[in-house]
Amino acid sequence: MTTSIAPERVKAPLIPPSTHRYAEVIHRLEAGGSMLPDTPENLQQIIGIYKAYAVPMDFYWRDLLYIAERVFLNPLPAFKYFISQEYLDRPCSYSGEQSKLRIWRGGEKAHPELLEFMERGETRRMPKLLHHLWHDRVNMEFAEACMQAMLWHQGMGGRFNDYLESDAYKANADRAIKAYFRGNPLMLGLYKLFPEMFLEQVRQLSYAANLGLFWEVMAPVFFEMSDLYDEGKLTTVPQAMDFLVNGIFAVAGRPIYHHLYIGDECIEIIPKSEGFTWLYEAALPYVEAVFYRTSPFRGTKSYNAQAQQVPDNQADFHYGILYADVYPVGSAGIPPTLLMQDMLHFLPPYLKEIYREHRRGEEDELVQLGITFQRSMYNVTSAVIQALRCALLYPLDDTDPEHLMANRQFFEAQMDRFLRPEARLSDIQSQDYR
Amino acid sequence: MTLLLLFLIPLLAACGLQLLPVASPWVRRTALAASLAQLATAVVAWRLPPADVSLSWLPKLGLRLDLGMDGLSLPLVLLAALITAMAVLATPLEQQRARLFYGLLLATNVGLMGAFLARNALLFVLAYELILIPTTLLVAIWGGERRAGAAIRFLIYGAVSGIALLTAVLAFGWLNPGGLDFSFAALASHRIPPDQQRILLALVLLAFGLKLPMVPLHGWQPLTYSQAPTPVAMLLSGAVSKLGAYGLLRFGIGFLPDAWSDGSAWIAAIGAVTAIYGALNAIAQLDMRRLVAYSSLGHMGFLLLALAAATPLSLQGVMAQILAHGLIIALLFCLVGLVETKTGTAQIPELSGLLNAQRGLPFTMGLMLLALMAAAGVPGQAGFVAELLVFEGSWVAYPIPTLVCLLSSGFTAVYAVRLFNRVGFGRLDNAKANWASTSWVERAPALVLTALVLVGGIWPTLLTGLSETATAPLALRSSEAVTVIASAASLAPSQLPA
Repeated sequence: MTTSIAPERVKAPLIPPSTHRYAEVIHRLEAGGSMLPDTPENLQQIIGIYKAYAVPMDFYWRDLLYIAERVFLNPLPAFKYFISQEYLDRPCSYSGEQSKLRIWRGGEKAHPELLEFMERGETRRMPKLLHHLWHDRVNMEFAEACMQAMLWHQGMGGRFNDYLESDAYKANADRAIKAYFRGNPLMLGLYKLFPEMFLEQVRQLSYAANLGLFWEVMAPVFFEMSDLYDEGKLTTVPQAMDFLVNGIFAVAGRPIYHHLYIGDECIEIIPKSEGFTWLYEAALPYVEAVFYRTSPFRGTKSYNAQAQQVPDNQADFHYGILYADVYPVGSAGIPPTLLMQDMLHFLPPYLKEIYREHRRGEEDELVQLGITFQRSMYNVTSAVIQALRCALLYPLDDTDPEHLMANRQFFEAQMDRFLRPEARLSDIQSQDYR
Repeated sequence: MTLLLLFLIPLLAACGLQLLPVASPWVRRTALAASLAQLATAVVAWRLPPADVSLSWLPKLGLRLDLGMDGLSLPLVLLAALITAMAVLATPLEQQRARLFYGLLLATNVGLMGAFLARNALLFVLAYELILIPTTLLVAIWGGERRAGAAIRFLIYGAVSGIALLTAVLAFGWLNPGGLDFSFAALASHRIPPDQQRILLALVLLAFGLKLPMVPLHGWQPLTYSQAPTPVAMLLSGAVSKLGAYGLLRFGIGFLPDAWSDGSAWIAAIGAVTAIYGALNAIAQLDMRRLVAYSSLGHMGFLLLALAAATPLSLQGVMAQILAHGLIIALLFCLVGLVETKTGTAQIPELSGLLNAQRGLPFTMGLMLLALMAAAGVPGQAGFVAELLVFEGSWVAYPIPTLVCLLSSGFTAVYAVRLFNRVGFGRLDNAKANWASTSWVERAPALVLTALVLVGGIWPTLLTGLSETATAPLALRSSEAVTVIASAASLAPSQLPA
């Protein structure tokens, strides 16, 4: 007796397969996936690193806002990293009981692990000044380097940068400078002599506020992802990416502003009423400036501009984490190394275990961590790409081939940015890349 | 008794190892213990000079077991014992056929001790020939891909060297009017006519020139050093090749002074050619082992120059260079071996970024930088002291060959920088950099050798003090006399002394 099996009806694809070098990745994106392959270890790595990133990020955003709003133009800002208690206790706008828009779980004050680390560092309990001088602290230099990358690259979409050149902004900044140096004839005199220099400093501080407000969102997102993973509610890489996409849309319209506080007086340098929003004025420029472009890492590799090793066009810069060679990073004072060092303090045990089992174990933990960070940022970038596709193009389950082709072209254009030999997209497809 | 112990310890250990179970951890431990015990005995012999040993063996052939230790042999005994211990230590823990390997290493050591302690030329020849067998087997069995060719070439060159030496030594005995007496004392006391000395010198130069080696007798060296396993390369370059310099000093200058004086200008020229040839070839190499091999060849040129000059200072330089070069070259081979073990290659174009702190071999490369600096004669390290003595001592006798050697010393810096720049700096390839860092056990021999290279630089007496009294009587030229002649050449006739 024979049994005949009815052939299963296979749904024919509406558009032909991509012929792009990263066709496999593009098809994965079209299926709602991430640039990062969906494997249990990839999920474990990226969630673990989000957790380790979120703790120092909780400090970064608070201190950036403290610098932008309180330290401001202090000519001797030696203590700008000595964040005030007020900013440590400042309620996060998106998590906690007192939040303005509670979206994510978690407390509103600084994370307990952060407070504990600030107290003890990796050495022992000692005065804050000694922790600072011994460099046993959160490396705010990394946060400032990111902010400077955003300031330096400028024109990356949005209206924020143009606004910094507007008369309205200059008038607000002028008011803020004069108010800040009220009763200080020396600084007011200097301002009169070099107004552009002061104005440029205020622009930089506006970017500090911008980045601080961006990370105020990301810290609770990452904390909650870690909690969900621990509870078994995040089980795949696409789920993790979707969580980020949903988060992006939830806060896309939140305001980006810059306020200065002098005592109880508040001066609005960039008022909320200008309508700058989180997605277009902070998130997208941040991803472009920090993930893709940044600047040639000083001190790790020499780039010779005269030998045309540095592109003429800033838009062609490719020194971000998506392209970074994690190996040469390891010298003191280099921004990515500083972040890796910060994250090293807050690694969850399961991630430490992964590192211990591979390559040189604890000896090269920093490199393994850097590569994990690279994977996780490919996932964040995937979320941004999917969010952009969502905002600008068509749903993934659209049945119109023309729409699907438009999506395809969008994805292919995004992947074109990773055709450079330095891009690590092909590396992260393999689990052996550590 | 101490002198016999220097023999017996490695000999008994080499035999005893064969009785241990295969793959027993005690094989390595026993070999290491024996080599360290021998080193300790050598140190005792240094501090408490032992009495000579003289036992009758084959009296009809003039062969006696005459052993003794003077200022020429003491540094070499210490060096051979040390390099053997470091070679054992540098052998991988998982060495294949360990019993035979360690046994042959120790057998080589027995031969070296025999040669350096011998006070009888025939005994010296026996020990000299004995070394050839285990070293050839070590290369042939555990060598690299081209080990067969390397071993055969090494064997042929070694056999020719041995035949030349045996012929010379037999001739020494036959020409001795007091009968068939091969003792060093008898050979030194009898003045052979100059014509016969020249013939003997040609044989001695052939024998020891092959062992040293010198250009154009160096054909075996780059291939053998590049194919030999690391511990064997350390032993060959650090100790065995020093037999050549020792032989030239003992037999050439010691027993054939007239012929040596006559031919020293040619020997100095060969030294200069060897130095420059070795250095230029080292610059051109793409394989680290071959680079180190040619570097070694270049430094042998310095030895030849100093031997040719034969002034008190240059002969001190010879002993200092033997010790310094023995330490430095063994260190370099040890480090290259470590790099090769970890990365799987010694090819310079395939390596880069090994200084990377996280995934490279920063410790090994740090030591390699020191070793290369020592080879280049950078002050503060043993190489500087030795080269300074060689050049200072030789300049008065042979200024032009000395200048050529100085130039080649400059080339040493070129290949040292080139090697370090290509291998140490640049980008470390993530796909390839999947090796474990070096353990302290692996680092130990390199650390010991580096420490001694540094101590030798800071405390030069360590290099020269042991042999100062022994080299002075061998000097064929007085430094002062040569200096007076040299300075007189620059004076006007009226200024010359009457």
